[in-house]
Amino acid sequence: MGKTPKGNILKNEQSLAYKLLIPTLVVLAIVAIYPLGQVVVTSFTNRVFASNQETKFVGFDNYARLLGVTFKVLEPKTDKNSGEIIKDEKTGAIVYESSISVLPRTPNRYKELFQFNWFGKRIVVGARDREFLVAVGNTLVFTVFSVLLETIIGLFLALVVNSNFKGKGLMRTTMLIPWAVITVVSARIWEWMLQPGTAGFFNMIMFRLGLSDGQASFLTNSALQMPTMVAVDVWKTAPYMALLILAGLQMIPKELYEASEVDGASKIRQFFQITLPLLKPSLAVALIFRTLDALRVFDVFQVLMSSKMYSMASYNYFQLIQNRNMGLSSAVGMIIFILIGIFSIIYIRSFGVDQS
Amino acid sequence: MKRATKKKIKKVLFWFVVIFVFVYLIFPFYWALNSSFKTENQLMMTPATFIPRDTQGNFAPTFDNYKSVFTNPTFLRAILNSTLVGGITTLLSLIIGSFSAFALGKLRFKGKRLFLYLVLSMTMFPQVTVLAGLYAVINTLNMSATLSMILSYMIFTLPFTTWVLTAFFKELPVEIMQSAQVDGATAFQTFYHILMPLTAPAMVTTGLLAFIAAWNEYLFALTFTSIETQARTIPVAISLFTGQIARQEPFGEIMAGAVIVTIPVVVLVLIFQKKIVAGLTAGAVKG
Repeated sequence: MGKTPKGNILKNEQSLAYKLLIPTLVVLAIVAIYPLGQVVVTSFTNRVFASNQETKFVGFDNYARLLGVTFKVLEPKTDKNSGEIIKDEKTGAIVYESSISVLPRTPNRYKELFQFNWFGKRIVVGARDREFLVAVGNTLVFTVFSVLLETIIGLFLALVVNSNFKGKGLMRTTMLIPWAVITVVSARIWEWMLQPGTAGFFNMIMFRLGLSDGQASFLTNSALQMPTMVAVDVWKTAPYMALLILAGLQMIPKELYEASEVDGASKIRQFFQITLPLLKPSLAVALIFRTLDALRVFDVFQVLMSSKMYSMASYNYFQLIQNRNMGLSSAVGMIIFILIGIFSIIYIRSFGVDQS
Repeated sequence: MKRATKKKIKKVLFWFVVIFVFVYLIFPFYWALNSSFKTENQLMMTPATFIPRDTQGNFAPTFDNYKSVFTNPTFLRAILNSTLVGGITTLLSLIIGSFSAFALGKLRFKGKRLFLYLVLSMTMFPQVTVLAGLYAVINTLNMSATLSMILSYMIFTLPFTTWVLTAFFKELPVEIMQSAQVDGATAFQTFYHILMPLTAPAMVTTGLLAFIAAWNEYLFALTFTSIETQARTIPVAISLFTGQIARQEPFGEIMAGAVIVTIPVVVLVLIFQKKIVAGLTAGAVKG
């Protein structure tokens, strides 16, 4: 094309395009690319946040501290005199030594993460940074349950809104309300509804219905914490999921349903044979979005749980701001980043999103 | 006959489901509204009541919570801060985003795909990952908290505006551009005088969604205002709401604050309802 006028136009277009892209590139470089590079470097140092203390390169120390685990065999407790193995009087189960006796203390102290039985032996898993690994576990459990429930409820909501009835518009509008409420604000609303004692809505309702004594402490009782967090998140994000699914539902041609109705297929069969398969692409996208969001959950955990229970992101925040351990918190950030990357790849591969 | 009753049962069941869903979605907000009209004593009343009642059971709402929230300088300041930060972020993201969206949607150039993926990847990584690095940048440049928030919010608003606007630009017919070029307009003139006005509706929707995202943001705001407390935005102010006198958490005031900051967003959402749905799904499905 070279010197033809058309070639010139093309060249002009190209140079204009690059000029137009510059502002975006500059902003992204300042707020994302450079900081991300900085995090990679900092994660290998012992840098302290907001201080003049000299920073030293520490190699993989931060990562070793976060991910360091050890497996030790626990010996059964024996009676000092007879040398017999002590058993629990009621259950007859073998009583084991305390895990503190086997977990190493120097040079690094390991805390018990959990125990399990393996080929008749009792194994204890110790972690150098138990809180971090617990936070990872919490986040994974939170992600699996909240995304699963959101998908089911979101699909349900979308099907309701997609069917023809009076007040459909009102319903669709209502659906946007939980999404529009500031997350921190909705977290505080839920905190108030979850108050222990019958001044809280949920305790009041459960008491009135005779389901409990109305004294459940949803946010401090460790058995209730996770279900509570999932419930709060589901309320807020199921409508968003429903919107994405709704978009997919509306793309399914009506003729398909008409044809299958002629064939005498039931509604349920239609759902499994037409709706679900054709919905797969939109479902996949919605799933990816929500999973990535759930893995980096921060607001709800920070507001409702603060130090009672950490998610990966709120643990990261705690290390940076409370402990001012910038090196370690950068390493936490990197681990979250890598975990999310792995999740995205698995999702994209298994759903074949990149095929189209 | 039998068939008719079956149909009726189905209808009743369906409406039951619809009402249940409606209550599920709206109830927490209703409870906040209800609680915001209760006094401290009414809030502590057990069991809790569905409307503010006095001890005799009569309807007795109070406006004290709203009065104290509206005279709380920190909260008023936070509303101002949030509006400012959200507004500027949105405006900047729209301008910068529409530049690159025009290039991506309408111009031919090398490296388009690479750029698109680069922008997309910005939305993929967790905010908390860049927090430490971003803080270092801000310290080095000695930026104020407000400016730091505006700039850092663009991590998520700029890819979003770029991305959605690209789709809108793509759909505009090429003929408009060509006829403008025949008339001797430069590409920039075409963009500014012809394409920008045509994409105005898209700008409004995208801008609104970006504004809501900025209005919602908590992590960056919490971090960057930890020293400069007067720059706190609404989410931070509400998360740290302790009332004027140190005592038990003033939930009545917190709920009043929650209602006040939610209503404008809900009203906006209601007005732009249809467009938001289109914008959200365009943003998501094309990802």
